[in-house]
Amino acid sequence: MRKRVSVIVAGVGAGLLLVGASVQAHHAFSAEFDANRPVRLEGKITRMEWINPHAWMHLDVTKEDGTVESWMIEAGPPGALVRRGWSRESVIPGTDVLVEGYQALDGAFRANGRDVTFPDGRRLFAGSSGTGAPLDGSDPTEAR
Amino acid sequence: MMKRLNWLPTAVALAAVLWLVPAPATAQDAAVARAFDGHPDLNGVWQAIGTANWDLQDHPASAGPVDTGAIGSVPPGQGVVVGNDIPYKPEALAQKQQNFENRWTDDPEVKCFLPGVPRATYMPYPFRIIQGDKKIMMLYGFAEANRTVHMDKATPEPAPIDTWMGRSHGNWDGDTLVVDVGGFNGEAWFDRAGNYASYSLHVVERYTPLGPNAMMYEATIEDPNVFTEPWTIRLPLYRRLEENVQVLEYKCVEFTEDLIYGHLRKEPTR
Repeated sequence: MRKRVSVIVAGVGAGLLLVGASVQAHHAFSAEFDANRPVRLEGKITRMEWINPHAWMHLDVTKEDGTVESWMIEAGPPGALVRRGWSRESVIPGTDVLVEGYQALDGAFRANGRDVTFPDGRRLFAGSSGTGAPLDGSDPTEAR
Repeated sequence: MMKRLNWLPTAVALAAVLWLVPAPATAQDAAVARAFDGHPDLNGVWQAIGTANWDLQDHPASAGPVDTGAIGSVPPGQGVVVGNDIPYKPEALAQKQQNFENRWTDDPEVKCFLPGVPRATYMPYPFRIIQGDKKIMMLYGFAEANRTVHMDKATPEPAPIDTWMGRSHGNWDGDTLVVDVGGFNGEAWFDRAGNYASYSLHVVERYTPLGPNAMMYEATIEDPNVFTEPWTIRLPLYRRLEENVQVLEYKCVEFTEDLIYGHLRKEPTR
C-alpha cells in the first residue's frame, strides 16, 4: 500500500488562531505549533509514549519517493485519551493510522495531533483542550 | 475461624509426618508466618542479595568508568537465570550487545527511570510488601517505584495504557503468591548489562516462603518479540531483620537533572 503525505498549507487557520489565542492553558499551542501548517499523515506507529502531561505518538511515514519520515505527534494526557476510547492495544507498534494535526513552528517532523483515524475506522480526538489550537471542529468539547 | 479449625488436623498430621521424616526444608515450611486469612504472611521489608542488578547471568569482575576506579567496577557474580542462557532472537541479541556497549549512558537506571518488573525486586535496596486479601502493595525505594497487585480480579484485566511497572494481578497457588504482570512500556532493562525486553513482555512471578524470613523468588519472562521461548530467573529474597527497618525514599530524579539537562542551563554544566 502506498503511503501518502500531503502537507497542506492553508490560510484558514490564521483568523481562527486569533480567536484561539485568547484561551489560556498551561502551555500554548502557538508557542510550538503553526496553525498555518496543517498536516495529514498516513503512517505506521513505531512507539507510543504514554506520559504526562502529553502522550507522544511516534509515526513512520513513507513518502511517495520511498523515503521515510519519522514524526512525533503530541497528544493529550494519557487519562484523557483513555476516556475518549484510546487504549494500549489501539496504538501497538505497527498499527497504521491517519493523523491530522499541525506541524511544529520550526518545521521539524513534529506535530500537534488533532484527529487520529484507526484501522477499525474509529476517528478519535488526540489533542488537549484549551491550548489555543485552531477551532477546527476536532475537539468535541469546543462545539458549544 | 472455620479455617483455623480445619487447619488444626492438618497441622497435627503434618507434625506426625515431620516427626517420622525430619527433613530440614519441610521443618522450615511449617514455620511460615500466617496472615489473618491463612495465607503466608509476606508483610515486611525484603531484599535480594547478589549481583543480579549488574548482570542476570554469570559474569566476572570487570572495570567500570575509568574515573571511578574500583568503586565503579562490576563485582563478579553467579547468574540467576535458570540454565544461565537467555534465548534471544538473533536480532534481539544484537540489540542486547549494543545495550551492553552503551550501558553507562543508556541503562534507564542512569536517568532514574522506574526499574520495571522483575528488576525492581533485585535492585540492591530493600522493598516493602503490604499484604491485604484484595490488594497487595509492593513499595520500592529507588525512584519511589510501587505496584499494586490486584488479588480480587477473577481474570487479569488488560492494562489501560502501558507503563514502566506494568499491571499486576495475583493469586495464591498453595503457599506461593503468583503474580501475572503485563502492560509494560518496553523501556525498562533487566540489569546493567543491557538485558532487555519490549512492550510485549509478560512476566509471571512466584513468591514461595521458605520460612518466616526467606522466600524463593522466580520470574518467568516471555516476550515473543525478543525471545524464542520463555525463560526463568530464580533467587532468594531475605527479610530485613533490623529493628524498625524502613524503606527509605531514594528520590534520584534530582541527581540526574544536570546529566540530562545540564547543557540547557544558562551556564552549561555539561
